Amino acid sequence: MNEHRRQILEMLAAGKITADEAERLLSALEPEAAPAADFNGRIAGNGSADTNVKTRAKYIRVLVEADEYMTGMKGQTTVNVRVPLQFLRAGVRLASLIPKQAHDQLDEALNRHGIPLTLSQIKPENLEELIDHLEDLTVDVDGKEGNNTKVRVFCE
Amino acid sequence: MTPNIAIVHIETPHWRSIPLWIPLFLLWIPAILLSPFILIVIFGLSIAGKLNPWRTFRVLWDLICSLPGTQVRVTTDGTNVRVRIL
Repeated sequence: MNEHRRQILEMLAAGKITADEAERLLSALEPEAAPAADFNGRIAGNGSADTNVKTRAKYIRVLVEADEYMTGMKGQTTVNVRVPLQFLRAGVRLASLIPKQAHDQLDEALNRHGIPLTLSQIKPENLEELIDHLEDLTVDVDGKEGNNTKVRVFCE
Repeated sequence: MTPNIAIVHIETPHWRSIPLWIPLFLLWIPAILLSPFILIVIFGLSIAGKLNPWRTFRVLWDLICSLPGTQVRVTTDGTNVRVRIL
């Protein structure tokens, strides 16, 4: 809770302001660009119908469109995979079970391939944050020079 | 919740299968029967890898329980295979 909010609540508790005044003050603290949304991701609205705002992502979707050049199969191949983010969470937790001896080897191999990631630095308490930030992730890959493969990864 | 049913659809240009409902919950029967062996294997491997066996068991359980909602669809040359786990 930030300082201003706490001050308002303390003033309300002390009886210096009324509940209505406290509500007005609290709403004034809210950034204009981010209207208050309830747990279902709906805005209370300003007289108009409820509008959907960004809800918490549940799935990660991977779409791949590959041509004959890539697959060696006739015609275009499309792969559409939807994986629950919960599965990803469990997968990352599974990675945390990797023995410490193997961490160094993995880090070295990742660094060799240009991925500056240290697996031992990924702690269970960071996992939630990591997964939460995945919700904003979108990856678009378009092939070029005769390769029409397209890959899209996003959360929904 | 553990995955209970997998639904498989297969479509080709000439033939279309009815949705195959695979009752994954029936896997509980062999899983329960084999549970002593499964637990021994998990505990043995965890101890060999210097891991907490309970934590390993929990992670594996979480992995299984997070499977429902998974969908895979592969389409190529008029053939369409769709798998959903509920």
